[in-house]
Amino acid sequence: MKSEQRKPLSLSGTILVTVSLVVIAAMFLTPVVWMACTSMKSPTDAAQGGISPLPNPASAALENIVHNYPEVWNDPSITFPIYLRNTLIIAVLSVTGMVLSSAVVAYGFARLNFKGRGPMFVVVLATMMIPFPVVMAPLYLVFRELGWIGTLRPLWVPAWFGGAFNIFLLRQFFMGIPKELDEAARIDGCSHFGVFWRIILPLSKPALAVVALFHFMYVWNDFLGPLIFLTHRDDFTLALGLQLYQSKAGNTPWNLLMAASTMVTIPVLVLYVLAQRTFVQGMSADGLKE
Amino acid sequence: MRSHAMLRENAMGWLWISPWIVGFLAFLLVPMVLSFYYSFTDYPLMEPPLWVGMGNYLRMFGDDKFISSAGRTLVYAALAVPLSTVVALVIAGLLSTRVRLAGIYQAAVFIPTLVPMAASGMVWLWLFNAQYGFINLLLAKVGIQGPGWFTDARPAWSMASILIVGLWGVGQAVVVYVAAMHEVPGSLYEAADLDGMGPVRKFLNVTLPMISPVILLNVVTLLIGAVQLFTVPFIVRAATPGGQTSTMTFYSVYMFDNAFVYGQMGYACAMAWVQLVVVLILTGLTFLASKKLVHYRGA
Amino acid sequence: MSVPDDTRPTHAALRFTRRAAIGAMVAGGAGFALFGPRGAKEASGGRIVLDYWEKWTGHEGRAMQGVIDRFNDSQSRIFVRYLVTAGVDQKAMIAISGGNPPDVVGLYNYNVPGFAETGGILPLDGFDSALVPRQEQYAAGVWPILRHPDSSGVERTWAVPNTGGTLAMYYNRSAFREAGLDPDRPPRTIGELDEMSRKLDVIDGDGTIRRAGFLHTEPGWWSWVWGYHYGGRLYDRPSNTASFDAPQNLRAYEWLASTSARLGPPRVETFKSGFANAYSSALNGLLDGKVAMVMQGPWLANVIAAFKPDLDYAVAPVPVSDELLDPASPIGLVESDILVIPRGVRHPEASMEFIAYTQRQDVSETLARAHFKNSVMTQISAEFVRDHPNRGIGVHNAIAKSPRGFLAPRSRDWLQLKQILDDGVPQIWNHTIQAPTQLAAMNRQAQAVLDRSLDVTRRRHGAAPGKGVAR
Repeated sequence: MKSEQRKPLSLSGTILVTVSLVVIAAMFLTPVVWMACTSMKSPTDAAQGGISPLPNPASAALENIVHNYPEVWNDPSITFPIYLRNTLIIAVLSVTGMVLSSAVVAYGFARLNFKGRGPMFVVVLATMMIPFPVVMAPLYLVFRELGWIGTLRPLWVPAWFGGAFNIFLLRQFFMGIPKELDEAARIDGCSHFGVFWRIILPLSKPALAVVALFHFMYVWNDFLGPLIFLTHRDDFTLALGLQLYQSKAGNTPWNLLMAASTMVTIPVLVLYVLAQRTFVQGMSADGLKE
Repeated sequence: MRSHAMLRENAMGWLWISPWIVGFLAFLLVPMVLSFYYSFTDYPLMEPPLWVGMGNYLRMFGDDKFISSAGRTLVYAALAVPLSTVVALVIAGLLSTRVRLAGIYQAAVFIPTLVPMAASGMVWLWLFNAQYGFINLLLAKVGIQGPGWFTDARPAWSMASILIVGLWGVGQAVVVYVAAMHEVPGSLYEAADLDGMGPVRKFLNVTLPMISPVILLNVVTLLIGAVQLFTVPFIVRAATPGGQTSTMTFYSVYMFDNAFVYGQMGYACAMAWVQLVVVLILTGLTFLASKKLVHYRGA
Repeated sequence: MSVPDDTRPTHAALRFTRRAAIGAMVAGGAGFALFGPRGAKEASGGRIVLDYWEKWTGHEGRAMQGVIDRFNDSQSRIFVRYLVTAGVDQKAMIAISGGNPPDVVGLYNYNVPGFAETGGILPLDGFDSALVPRQEQYAAGVWPILRHPDSSGVERTWAVPNTGGTLAMYYNRSAFREAGLDPDRPPRTIGELDEMSRKLDVIDGDGTIRRAGFLHTEPGWWSWVWGYHYGGRLYDRPSNTASFDAPQNLRAYEWLASTSARLGPPRVETFKSGFANAYSSALNGLLDGKVAMVMQGPWLANVIAAFKPDLDYAVAPVPVSDELLDPASPIGLVESDILVIPRGVRHPEASMEFIAYTQRQDVSETLARAHFKNSVMTQISAEFVRDHPNRGIGVHNAIAKSPRGFLAPRSRDWLQLKQILDDGVPQIWNHTIQAPTQLAAMNRQAQAVLDRSLDVTRRRHGAAPGKGVAR
C-alpha cells in the first residue's frame, strides 16, 4: 500500500500513539464487555455487584451463564426463539430480494442505453437523502390500505424493489467489468438476461456479498420499522422484543436483559469476524474497485 | 431498423429498472404525496382525514413542544456532527501511523457499530444508571457523585449522554477515513518530509485536504442521521416512568408521538415535510460551504 | 484490491473455513427461519382463541396469567392468550386503525376518551345485560373512568377496570420518631405537611441535604395533581377550557416552588440525582431514608416488600389545603387500568365474556391483591383487607370510594395537556420561571390544543360530542 512509504514515527511518537489507541480501544469496548459481564451475573449481583466485571463469586460465572441464557431463551412471555425466527424470516426474504432486484436495476443502469437513464439515476441518488421518518407515517397508511399491518410483509416486500444505495454500489461495480465480455456473449446470441446471469453476476460476487451483508445488518438492527408495522407480539423481531424486558415501574432484570442483548449481538459479531474484508469494502465504495 | 432497435433498447432499459420504479412509486412517491395531502388535514388515524388548510403548518409556530424538540435536534446535530467528525479523524489518523496491531484497535473501535441500536440503547441505559451504572460507580471511586445522565433534569447532561452514545458509534466513519488515508499518495508525504513537517502538520496539511471529499460525504451522512435521531431517545423514554422525559423528545420522537400516540397524523405529516426541507437545506448548505474546503484530485 | 496472500496455502485453507462458516451460518439461519418455533396464533381444538394484549410483565403479568388460566379452565368454548406488549396503547391504536386488532386490550384510564370518541373501541352497553358493568358494582371514583360520550354525544360504558390504584402519602415512621414527631399523627393539611417537613429535613452545615421531609419530585410521576389538593381543576369539560392558572392551582404551584426554595434548587437537584429513577430498588428515596414522606400508589408496598421489608412505614391520604380538610372524604387521584374491546374484533361476545369474568369480585380481588393494589369495587371482602400485603390498603380503598377522589381530565387531548405540564412544572420547581408566568404560558398552550381539537371535532361531526359549547 502506498501509505507504507510513510516514515515510521519516532520512538516517543510510537509510544504516544500506542497508548492513546489502547485507551481509545478500551473505551469503545467497555460497554460491550460490561454487557457481556452483566449477563454472567446473578440478579442481585447485577444490580449491586459494584464495579467488578466478574460475578461474585467469580466461580459462579459459568453457573450464571447456564442459568441466564436458557432463562432468556425459554421465557414463556418474552418468546426469544419466535422473535429470532421472525427476524430471520424477514432477513432471508428481504436480503434475497434486495440483492436480486438491486442487481437487476443496476444492470439496467450500467449496461442498457435508454432514454431518460441519466435523469432516472439522479432520482435514484436523490432518494437516498430522504430520511425514513419522513415517510414512516404515510407508509403505515399505505400498508394499511394493502392490509399488511399485523403481518411481516411491510418489512420484506419493499426490499424486492431494490434499494437506492445498493443500486448505486452495484452499478459502479458492473461498470468496472469490461464491456467486451458481455459483447462477446451477445454476439454468441446471449440475451441481456443471459449476460446478467452468466457473466455479470458471477463476476460480481464481492459486491453482491457487500449488499447482502449490509442489508442483513440493516434488517437485524431495524427498530423503527418493526415498531410501527408489527403489532402482534408473535410477529415481533429481536430488536423490538428486547424492549419487553424494560418494564416501566417494575424491576428490570438487568442480567437477563444484558444476556438477551448479548445474544442479539453475537451473530453480527461472528459475521464481522468471518467477513471482515467485506465489511471494510462495503463502507468505502473505493474498496470495491478492482 | 435502427430506430426499431433503439426503441427496443429503450423498452428493455425501462424494463430492467422497472422494479425500482414500482418500488419508488409504491413505497416512496405515493406515501410522500399522501403525506403532503395529509399535512393539510386533521387525521386521527381512527377517523377519516379532515381538510384544515395551512392549520398544521401554522400550528408549529405556537407549539412550544415542536419548537423545543426541533431546537434540541438542531443542537444535537450541531454538536454531534463536528464532534464525531473530529473524533473519527483523530482516531483514523492514529490508526494510519505505522503502529503495530492497528487492525486490532480498528476492530475495537468498529465493534460498537455492530451492536444493534435496540441493544445498545439497553446497554447504555444500564451503564448510565444513576445508582448501579458502571460509569457512576467508576466516578464514585474517585469521589465524584455522577449525574443522572439520560434522565437528569438538567438538559446538558441528557444531551451529553445522547452525544456519548452517538460518539460510541463513530467506528464506521473511522474505517472509511482509514481507507481513504491509505489512498493518499506516499510521494506527498515524502515532499512534506523534505519540507521538514512533523506528523501533526502532515496530518493537517496533507492528509486532511487529500481526503476532504470523503469527509464531506461522511458529514452529510452524519447530518442526515443526526436530524432523524430516534431509536436511543425513544428507548430511554420508554424505560423511564413518569413524564420526566422531555429531554428525550427529539424531533422524530415528537413526530412519532403525534402520529401514533396523540392521533395527530396530519400534524406528523406536516412535521415530516418540514424535516425533509430542513435536511435538504442543511445538505445544500454543507455542500456550498465545502466548495472552498474540499479538494478534488485532478478535478 | 489485490490480495496476493490468498494464494498461500494456509490462507486458502483459512478462507475456505471462513466460507464454510459463513455458509453454515446462512444455512442455519435459513433453516431456523423455515423450521423454527412458531407463535401459537391458532391454538387448542375448536375453541375461540382470544388475543389479549397487556402491559404487565414480571409478577404482575404472572398474576394476570393466573386469572386467565382460571378463566380458560372454567369453560371450554374460549381460550385466552396473554400477550405482553410494550407501549400497549400505541400498539393498540396502530393495530385497530390497521384493521388487525387484538380481541381484548389492557389500556390506561386516560385512553378512554380518545378511543371512545374516535370509535376505536366498542361500547359495552350493547352486550348481554348480565355481563355489562353496572354503576353500583364500582367504587365512586372508578365508575366515571368507564363512562364517556361517543361521537354523537351519548354517554356509554366502554371499559371494565382491571385493578386500580389511588395515590396516597407513604411516610417513614422511624424518621417521624427521630424528628420528635408522633408517627401515628401524619400531616393532614399542607400547612401541617410543611411544618413537619421542616422538622424532618436533615441538612448539613454546608447546605448538603441528607434527608428531605417531603419531596414533590420523588418520584415526580404526577406533576399535574397538586392543584387538586387545593381544590383546583385543570380542565372543564362542558366549556372545553383549561384552567391551569386558576387561583387554587397557582397556590399549589407556589407551594411546590416554596419547597424547592427551602431546600435550595441546585442542592435539591444534586440530592435528587442520587436516587432519581431508583424507584424499583433498595435506593428508592423512601426506602433508603432520603425522603420521609412521598406521594405514591399502592404498588409501592411491593417495592418495600421486595427491598426493605422491615421499613416502618404507614399510609395516609395526601394532605390538602386547610379549608378542604374533611377526613371522612379524602382527596386523591384515582387511576385504573382498564380492559376494552377494540373495534373490528371477530368474536365480540367472547371478548365480553372474558372481560366480564375478570369483574367477579373474587377474581378482581385476587388480581388486585397480587398487584398490591386497592379494590375498584363497592363490595370489598373482609379477607381482601385482612390478607392484603399493603398495610395501607384501607386508605387506598377509601380514596377510591371517596366522592372527592379525582380523575385525570376527561379529554381525548389529555396526553398532550399532560405533556405540557410534565415539561413545564420542572421549570417552576427549578425557579427558572415563576409559577404565575409559567402557569399562564402552559394554559395558553393547553387552550390552543383544546380549541383546535374542538374546532376539528365540530367540523367533523357537525357538533362537538358532549362538549356542550356546540349544543
